[in-house]
Amino acid sequence: MKLDPAIRDQVLAAVPSLRAFAISLCGNIDRADDLVQETLLRALAHIDSFQPGTNMPAWLFTILRNLFRSEYRKRRREVEDADGRYAETLKSHPEQTGRVEFEEFRAALAKLPSDQREALILVGASGFSYEDAAGICGCAVGTIKSRVNRARTRLADLLAIDNVDDFGPDRATRAVLAGGGRN
Amino acid sequence: MGGRGNMKAGKTADVQPPVPDADARDAMGRPVSHRKTEVRLGREVQAQIGQQLRAMYDAVVKEGVPQHINDLVRRLSEQDDGAA
Repeated sequence: MKLDPAIRDQVLAAVPSLRAFAISLCGNIDRADDLVQETLLRALAHIDSFQPGTNMPAWLFTILRNLFRSEYRKRRREVEDADGRYAETLKSHPEQTGRVEFEEFRAALAKLPSDQREALILVGASGFSYEDAAGICGCAVGTIKSRVNRARTRLADLLAIDNVDDFGPDRATRAVLAGGGRN
Repeated sequence: MGGRGNMKAGKTADVQPPVPDADARDAMGRPVSHRKTEVRLGREVQAQIGQQLRAMYDAVVKEGVPQHINDLVRRLSEQDDGAA
């Protein structure tokens, strides 16, 4: 049977955000697009298991995340390799931030453990509720909250360290403060 | 200095840096000490994190649906058998 055009449009509407999530997971736009494509193939093949009226983006994000997780174990090396590719592959830079700032931020984000990074992205960028994010990641809501908090703290530390150069003599003090957090 | 200051009060105010001085108080009325500055820097970074995170994400979202993915979804949704 053919796919209901309304469902198809819901799938298509979720693609831009799904791609952004995939890129944030992979750090590499080519791999991210492969991952999105694989996700859509799988989703459309199992479209019967999607319940109309429920959250299509959350359903697709769950599939993509599971694919990424199973693939990640096989291809860890490529994930480590991702640094530096991300900005080049974007057609447009974020307008609010300068290039250097953006590079620093992206590099800091890449240093986060993947479970913290994905939690932060889902809640802070994709706009999912903690509950939806917990569903996507297959964990408790409290776990998501804690991962988001740790991700924010760690990013703040990393960015504070990067900003130390601007403050000159206080460098060592700030580095110690930034590095000696509550972890 | 007082007289000059009064005469050019407007200009003087413009030139002053927007940095809290030693007498500055925070929202709770406590002095803004060095330690307080560290915390405030942390908050600024936190706000920056949210902004940059969304800016990074939205830069990709704005690219929309790539043609090959659009084609793929439309082709598959016309097939009898899904993506099998």
